[in-house]
Parts: sequence; structure tokens; C-alpha cells
Amino acid sequence: MRPDRRKFIRETICAALGGASVYSAFGGMKLLQAAARHDYGFTNYKALVCVFLYGGNDSFNTIVPISGAARTNYQLVRPNLALPTAGLHALNAPASGAGSPGDGSSYGLHASMPELAALFNANHAAIVANVGSLVRPTTKTEYQGGSAVLPPQLFSHADQAAYWQSSPPSNAPVTGWGGRLADLVASANPPDIPILTSLGGQDAFVRGESVAGYVMNSYGPNVIDFPYELSGDDALRSAFDALHAQGQANALERTFGNAMRHSVATATLLQATLGAAGMPNFDGYFAGAGEIGEQLETVVKLIWAANNNVPGYTGLSRQVFFVTGGGYDTHSDQLATQGGLLVELSKALSGFHAALTSVSLADRATAFTASDFGRSLSNNEDGSDHGWASHQFVVGGAVAGKKFYGDNLAGTGSAQMPSLAPSDQNPNDGGYGQMIPTTSVEQYSATLAKWFELSDSDIDLILPNLGNFNTRYLGFV
Amino acid sequence: MLPARNVRRLLCLAVMLVCAASGASALAQSHRPDAMLHDGFDGAAAGPATDADASRFLAQATFGPTDADIAHLRAVGYQAWLNEQFAAPQSLEMTYLDWVADTLHEQVGHQNRREAWFLGALGGPDPANNALIHSDQLRQRIAFALSEILVVSDQNAQLAEFPTSIAYYYDILVANAFGNYRTLLEKVTLSPAMGTYLNMRGNQRADPSRNIHPDENYAREINQLFSVGLVMLKADGTPQLDGGGHPIPTYSQATISAFAHVFTGWNWYDCDDNGFDNFTDCGPDYTTGENWLHPMVPYDQPNQPNNGDPSYHDNGTGPNDLHSKQLLAYPGAQAGGVLADGGSAASDLQFALDNIYGHPNVGPFIAKQLIQRLVTSNPSPAYVKRVADVFNANRTSPNQLRAVAQAILLDPEARYGQVYSDKYGKLREPLLALTHFWRAMDARHTCGRDFTQGGLQNHYANQPYRYAGYVTGWGTDDDQYGSGIAQAPMNAFSVFNFFKPSYLPPGEMTANGLVGPEFQLQTESVIANTVNSVEGRAFYFDVAQVCDAGDDFGEVKVNHAKDLALAGSGNGGAADPADRLVDAYSKRFMSGQMSPFMRQTLLAYLNRIDSSWTEGVTDWRLWRIHTALYLVFNSPEYMVQK
Repeated sequence: MRPDRRKFIRETICAALGGASVYSAFGGMKLLQAAARHDYGFTNYKALVCVFLYGGNDSFNTIVPISGAARTNYQLVRPNLALPTAGLHALNAPASGAGSPGDGSSYGLHASMPELAALFNANHAAIVANVGSLVRPTTKTEYQGGSAVLPPQLFSHADQAAYWQSSPPSNAPVTGWGGRLADLVASANPPDIPILTSLGGQDAFVRGESVAGYVMNSYGPNVIDFPYELSGDDALRSAFDALHAQGQANALERTFGNAMRHSVATATLLQATLGAAGMPNFDGYFAGAGEIGEQLETVVKLIWAANNNVPGYTGLSRQVFFVTGGGYDTHSDQLATQGGLLVELSKALSGFHAALTSVSLADRATAFTASDFGRSLSNNEDGSDHGWASHQFVVGGAVAGKKFYGDNLAGTGSAQMPSLAPSDQNPNDGGYGQMIPTTSVEQYSATLAKWFELSDSDIDLILPNLGNFNTRYLGFV
Repeated sequence: MLPARNVRRLLCLAVMLVCAASGASALAQSHRPDAMLHDGFDGAAAGPATDADASRFLAQATFGPTDADIAHLRAVGYQAWLNEQFAAPQSLEMTYLDWVADTLHEQVGHQNRREAWFLGALGGPDPANNALIHSDQLRQRIAFALSEILVVSDQNAQLAEFPTSIAYYYDILVANAFGNYRTLLEKVTLSPAMGTYLNMRGNQRADPSRNIHPDENYAREINQLFSVGLVMLKADGTPQLDGGGHPIPTYSQATISAFAHVFTGWNWYDCDDNGFDNFTDCGPDYTTGENWLHPMVPYDQPNQPNNGDPSYHDNGTGPNDLHSKQLLAYPGAQAGGVLADGGSAASDLQFALDNIYGHPNVGPFIAKQLIQRLVTSNPSPAYVKRVADVFNANRTSPNQLRAVAQAILLDPEARYGQVYSDKYGKLREPLLALTHFWRAMDARHTCGRDFTQGGLQNHYANQPYRYAGYVTGWGTDDDQYGSGIAQAPMNAFSVFNFFKPSYLPPGEMTANGLVGPEFQLQTESVIANTVNSVEGRAFYFDVAQVCDAGDDFGEVKVNHAKDLALAGSGNGGAADPADRLVDAYSKRFMSGQMSPFMRQTLLAYLNRIDSSWTEGVTDWRLWRIHTALYLVFNSPEYMVQK
């Protein structure tokens, strides 16, 4: 039994600080106030799915130049890692103008990713180029001259992963932007069904100011494994339930009993939902897609359930999911390691789309990748080191695919794949092949939030640095 | 005529019986614990009068009551017990880590730091010298509470690389747990761990040409979280309200900016000595980690230590400095809170810390949180004021926090406030429930091997007091794989700790304006994992188990069989009931407060267990012990310490 979230949020504000002070991290109180006054009422269902790749995926060997100056530079600058053109899967983006890589070169995906390339060429996947954590637009001159205002700890895994998930860059992210999204749309959803869910562990992305992320296993909820009953009945379980039933004498005890019953009920609901009658078997779409595929398949099931009148799982309009993969920190043995990871990622993302298409829900969900950072353009012996800007994928029926998106230094909103020239001749290269982003995480996230149908002012609230960039919405969805 | 004292006792009894009877029908089992039938007018410090009272006190003052502790406290009384605790030798994490590095020649990692924490929290023999018994429970409990206010976390990537950084920091809290809060604030401020966590280290005066502005992180958090809080408070911790009924902010953005400018110029003690040329490139001693173990020092003299080095401290005299910095303003603030130009980094820091510490909010702000960590989430304003008054009366005393701890624990509201309110108490946080279980059930580390791997030594054979193990001591933060308790020491997500003091659980508590900070951590998924963890401890991880030959690090296990005699004396069943076990568990775990309803529910189940229940156990009575522990530790009545 949980009350109307909007009422709860209002009461939280009144009881906590009384409206005057706003100095909590990221204006959390402003967020709660906004949530209390804005009534989102959606007539449709949408789901955002963050696919976080821990370690910093090497974008330069994921989206690889096939021809043009970029190809020449690519082979020159990373001789130990450069992938041959044979085997790459060509991306048929426009050669010039809007949607092109913007550097006159053509690109293809790593040989491990035929499915994702096909999805791109079928208009259902897009690439966001040269995106990374920024406080504001930053030029090479500023960066190397020491006058740039930068996110702290630029090449640190934990910090950068946190900034991608929480935005803006800060040492102590209390909430993630996925959580802040959920805070704002909570009132448009039933109170007893998780709307902010991680299938890949606890992290900042799924922490909201008032909404706590529900952390599940990749295949289902964490359930209480009630102990084996030697008596062969459920007497122990009954005693457990009796102790958590209503009627405790103390208010805190009643609240804990309530929380326990709710935990059991939610896990039971999710188990039942995932085993709902009539749910198609999506296994075939995720063969060979690894752990990421397993998580995405569960997301597909939940999205299907939310749109197919599964008892107990109805009335949902907005959900946020978080799935994760690891192992992308390829300082060494990159060719083999990344090759294997990208096989699974390609199958998982394309399987996600195909599964939803099979049940006519492809346009209801947008999946987007994110990672701590890209990697250095230059290589070490057999791997690459921490970089900064990266390229990411957006996948879904609503995506305007087969295009490259992003911003550029001029802030005019047309994608610009970075130069791959050697560092001293490279206007994008901050040094050692660590690319300075031309698109910010804020702009990337804002575009997704806009698709989610948040108001412009609420998007500014959850992404406070967005105003530092000229182009708010990149147009990929 | 009865002596007045006895009249009061009878009146008290009558009141309590009325209270007890009003909430339950004669036929239904009461969910209310039996009223504490003792005299509350002799003074809270006289006692404990019963084992239950002793257990309640120890639940507040230690990491969980044990039968032995209860007996000892009964024997000596509250004040003598407190005096013993104030005199007990300190358990320091660095001592343990130094032993691991210098004697065992192991590579020190964060798992060792957690071992050190559990050694302090569980107490008992020291692994390096079994004759030394760790017994400073109250000091450790206060330090743990302080670590949840003055938060530093190994979720910070740099701190995660250097376990000694956090151990050194924690030892500051331990060493000053009974000391002076102003002193503590200064030592915390100058610790490299805090300097790293909240960015004061390396913070420098403004230089607009390079777009450098002093970082505001520490300035903000030292005010918001470590001292005065966001809104002006009355002496009893309740917010002051302006004419319109709104709370009054304690400070403005300008105040924070001023503090940020003060907190400049501090860095590692060995910048310029450790191979780095200057302030901005100074880094940790990667090989030795040594500079994590020394307070930060100021770099505020031009040409010090080398020619050409500037001063990095904003003291108001530089072209881009902030002049006459306005810090906190309040009646009695020195110089109205205005920091004059021309000081040094050290003198300016003293002024700033004095300015913060002198604010009238500090007493009630800290007093209330310490009460929340030890006793109850929603103390009465009067209780907060009594403790804040002690804090303030001891402002310059080196024993300030000792007096505060005593005031918290011996206050009537701590000793018997639960009798008069059903909104009293606090949800036990996962680490405290775990330490309680382990302490009370004679936990030891077992199994584990001595082995060398990759040139590194590991010594985990026959180490009953090295509290190690993946599933238990080390894996306590694991909440992903279906078990774990989602809380580890010094492992909070952010500087806001695992939960905020102001958290309102939805539902009845929000409706009544009751905070329940620990509820913020008990999300739906965490609760499920915690129940599974309790199952593991209740049924498995027993010291009698045969060790797996390949078990490298072992685990922490308990002695379930210690309660065999309580669990039955014949063949079980209703003829050989489990009353003694249930009552013992009520006393040991629940301070004697198990309600008749819960007692009846437990007995109805446990009395079905008889001597035919031999599957998987060496003694049928273990089934009663396992299931009783499982039901008790998951129950709302246990989970709420009251």
C-alpha cells in the first residue's frame, strides 16, 4: 500500500525543508517541487533503456573508417589496432550534409557487428558522434592552454561513469538523470509497479530523489528464497507472513512490515508478469547475445507485459531501464577482447529491436548506449588507454536511423566525427588521442528526455548544464 | 501510609497497565510488549533493573548485546559500565593494517580494512595478540555514527586505490569519539581522505585567466552536513520559522563562496618532495601511500618550498581574492563572521572553523543526529535540547563528546521512552543487525588457508579473529546476486551517507511527520536480499562445518549449537516446548520486548519441531535454533530497535 506519489512528494517537501532552501545537491528540492506541481498525463507508453558499457568502449574500433582521409589517418595513428577494411560492415549514412559523418569519410562497423549494421541501414539505429562529459563547449586551445572549465577526474572510470549517469559532473552524484526522469513521471504511473529498474546492478543512473531504483537480476526479480520446510508444508512461511502482517504496536514496525510485504508483492508481481500467459517466447532473438542480451530480453518481456494487459502490470506509461555490460577497459589484448564483447552487443541490441518489432512495440522503446569514456586514438602495445569522447548507438523504432548525429564546436548541431590525424595536427585531439567531445552528455540525454515527452523546463531541471550548449536536441529520436 | 516512592510506583504501574490494556482485546494476543514494570522515578542512571533493560542499553551503546555483556552490565550498573568504556583502549584500523603489511607481509587491500572494522565492531581477541581483547564498543559505535555524518567513502575511485587513506580517516573518528567536536572537525578537514573526497585538497585561489575558481564542494558540505545544516534551528533542534511560517536558511550562496575561498592552499604534506614539481601536479605517493597518513599542509608562502612557487591561498590580498570574507553571521560571531584580509592559510582556517563551530545550530544539529544513530529516529525536542545543552556546556572541553554520549544514553527518554510512545525507536541498519548477530552468536572466522599466489602471501588458516570471507565480511555490500546486506563500512554512495536523517518513509510515517532514515536503504530489492542473507546466517555458516580444502579465505561463522540446551531437553514437540529458547532470544536480541503475539507465533511453529527432525543436522534442536533465528532476525519487532 503506497500512497499517490504526487501527494507523497508534496508532503515530503512540506515536512522536510519547507520550501525556502534549495541548496541540496542538484537542486533536489526544486526537482521535488516541480514534480509536485507538474501533472504529466501520458496517453501512450514509452520506455528508455540505458545500456551502460563499463570500462570505456573503444569507439575508434567500433565505428571504423572505410575510406577517405579518416581511413588513412586511422591506419597511421593506431597501427597495432587498425582493423582491415575487409570484414567491416558498411554504414550507409548520407555521404554529405545532414546525417553524414561530417568529415567526408565513410564508415563501417566492427566485423563482429553485422546485425547492428543491418539495423542501422534499415533506419532503426543511429550513431551519436564524439559525445562525452563536458561542462560547456571546450576547444583544444582552451584545453591545452589550461583555461577550459572541465569536469573533474577526466580519465577516471568511476568518476566518468558517474557523470554519464548523473550529469552534470560532480564528485558526489546523489541521483542519476534516469532517477530524476522517474521522479518527474512517477505520478503518471501506478504506485505499486517499479518504473525505474536496473537489471545490471546498483548505480547512480537508477537513483532518484524520491524514486528508488528497483534492482533485479538479469532474468528476474530478487526473490526471497524461503527456507526448506522439513515438515513439507509452509508452516515456516506462514509464521514469517504472520509476523509481517498488519497489526504491530509500533509505527516503525508497521512501516517495516509494510515494506516487507511490498517487497514480496513486487517480486511476486514481477515473477508472475515475466511468466504471464500469452507472452511470446523471445529467446530466439537473443541467441548468442550474452548477459547483456539476457537483461535486454527481460526488458522486452516487461515492455510487452506493460502493453498487453497483463494482470497487475497495467496502467504504466513511462518506464526507465538500466542494463549493463562490463569488460570494455581494453588496455591490452583489445582485438580479441573487444571482438568478443561486440559480438554480444550487436546481437543484443538488434535482438532487442527485432523482438519488440515482432510484437509491434518497436517504436515504444529507445535503447541508447553509454560508457565511461571512449579510448585513446593512439595505441599501446596491444590495446588502448583511457580516452574522453566516444561514439554511441541509439536503437529503436522511433529513432531516425541510418544517420550520424551530434554537435560540433560551432554548436550548429550537425554531426562531426573527429579528425583521426596525429595529435599535433588534430584539432579535436586534446593529447594522446584523447578526443575532446563536441557533443555533451547533456545534449544526448536531453534528446532522449524530449522523446520521453518531458517539458523543456523540466529537462533543464534534470540537466542543469544543458543551457551551456547551443543545440538542446540532437534530433536522433 | 505508603512511602511516597511506593505511591509513585503504584501509580506508574497503574498507568502502564491501563496503557497496555487499551490497545488489545482480552482475547487477541497483544502486539505490544509487556510493560516495563519498573520505577522510572529513581533516576535513569540507577540501573539496569532487569536483564531486559541491560539489553536495551547495550543495543544503543554497542554493536549488539551478548549474554555476557548483559550479565556484566547488570553487575556494575550503567555509570561504571560507561566509565569502563571511556577508559578502554582504542581499536585502530591502522594498527591492524600495519600488522597485515609488516608482520604478515600481505598486500593490503580494502578487504583488510573491512576486517579491521569488524575487529573493532565485534570486539574480542586481537589476531596479532590474542591476549589483547578489543572491548571499546561505545567508542567504536560513536565513531561509526560519526562516519555516517562526516562521510568519506571508498566509492571514490582514488580512495578505493588506497585503503590506508580511509583507515587513517576512520582512526581520526575513533580517537576523537569522546573528544572535542571542534578538534574533530579540524582533523577531519585536514585529512587527505576528506580533502580528496570533497575537493579541498589542491583547491586554490581564483585565477580568472585560467578559469580557476575555488571549488565549493567542501565549503558546502562542511556547513550543510557536518555542522549547521540548511535551516536555522532552535535549541531543541526544531526549525526556527519566520513571520510567514517558513524555515530560515542558515547561509546563502555567497556564504558558501566565501568559505570556498578560505579553504584554499592545502595539499599533501610532501608536494615538491614526492617527485612532483608543484601544487597542481601533486599526487598521492603511489608506492608507499605515505602521504595519506599525514594531515594536509598549507602552501601559502611565495617561494615556498621552491623559488617561484606562488601562494595558493586566498587571504584577501591577491588581485583576484575575495576581500573581507563574510562567513556565518550570528549573535556573538567573532568580528560578525567577517574574516579580515591578510591571514595565513592556517590562521584563516582556524577562523573559519571557529566561525562554524560557534554557530548555535551546531549543538542541536549534531546532538539530534547522534541520538538518531544510537537511540531513536524521532527524539522529542526536549530530549534533543537536553543533549544539545550538554554539548554546549562542554564546548571547550576535551571530553565533550564523552559527556554527550553519556547524556544521550542516560537520558530518561533513552532509558524508558519506549514505554510511552509507539512512535519510538529506529530501524536497525543492516551492518548493525549483522554485527549483533555475530557478536551474540560467538562468530569466528574459520576455514581459509595460508597460501602464496602471484608472489603475494595470504594467511587465513587458523585465524579465528581475522573476520574475512567473500560472502560475509567482505561481501556485505553486495546487493546484486540475491544476497548481501547492501551496506559496508565507509562505502556510502555519496557524502549524504546511506540514508538522510530527514528521510520520510511513505505512508503512515510521512502522514505523521515521522522520519525513518534507515528505511531509505531498505528498498524492495535490498529487503529481499537481506532476508536471504539472514537465511544464510541463521541456517548455515556454522563453526562446526568441515572446511573445504580449497577454501582460500574462509568465512565468518557462528556457533548455532551454543543454544542447544535452551532449545529442548527431551524429544521436542509440545511436551518439550521451546519457551526457554524464545525467551532467551527475546532478551538477547530484542531486549525482552517480544510481544505476546510474536512469542505465540514463534512457539506455535517451534513446538511442532521434535526429535524426528534429524535431516541435515546432528541434533534435532538445531532446527529450532535455525528457524527461530530466521524468524526473529527478519521480524519487524526485531528490526525496530526500541
